[in-house]
Amino acid sequence: MLILVTGGAASGKSAHAERLLCEAAPSSRLYLATMQPFGAAAQARIARHRALRRGKGFETVECPLGLQNLPLARRYDGILLEDLGNLLANEIFAPEGAGDAAFGSILAGIAHLQDCCETLVAVTDEIFSDGVGYPPETERYIRDLAALNRALAARAEAVYESVCGILLPLKGAKEP
Amino acid sequence: MTVLIIGGAHQGKAALARALYPALPLAENLHLRVREALAAGRDPMALLDALRGHAVTCDEVGCGVVPIDRMDEAYREAVGRLCCALADEADAVVRVTAGIPQYIKGDKPCT
Repeated sequence: MLILVTGGAASGKSAHAERLLCEAAPSSRLYLATMQPFGAAAQARIARHRALRRGKGFETVECPLGLQNLPLARRYDGILLEDLGNLLANEIFAPEGAGDAAFGSILAGIAHLQDCCETLVAVTDEIFSDGVGYPPETERYIRDLAALNRALAARAEAVYESVCGILLPLKGAKEP
Repeated sequence: MTVLIIGGAHQGKAALARALYPALPLAENLHLRVREALAAGRDPMALLDALRGHAVTCDEVGCGVVPIDRMDEAYREAVGRLCCALADEADAVVRVTAGIPQYIKGDKPCT
């Protein structure tokens, strides 16, 4: 089963994604962290996410890119992938990333994760409504993330948007 | 009671607040107060206490690309966290698009 959780910055989506995963996956839980710990803001975010997960029985694996080649030793009840915005940025902008093939590479990575678990919860970002024009490489990033969101939402059993910490069902979801 | 009314800029949030919650004092543009607090070196979360018992309007500012400017990023983050905290306490949260309310927490008011 695939569940997609989207939302703007600081909208409470991580906490909801984690809760949804814990509800769906009774025991073996893997947290796949995609954020690279560059800069104070990233480190603060990582620390906040670690504190949220503490004591909930998550194994943590860092995977900033190359998801489709990630070796997983066993099958999990649930995997929480956080998040697609960072993963895509790493694939597009990091020298060792997939570059032009980022979109397909991430979809292949998601399929790989789904083969390794019962429930995959993927967190993504709503970055599409600031009305600001950006340089071509940023526009390409925005377009690819939107395409990923559409592709994953189409195949997900449930899609939610978190707004001010309130979880709004967008597709197939039982009431939170 | 406390109500949070969110939405994009210029969506009719304050007008709805007045129409739906006439008994509540209105605190408009929470996002601007957060910006002022940050500029003055104060913790925006400290605004929370004074917002209880109000109808509070706030622009949704978190649905864009992560800003390059560190202050802009901190501002976006602070507005989001404060809104999560306020929404958690609020009796009702309303999201406004083109003047149309969606009641995302609590009951629709009787007006």
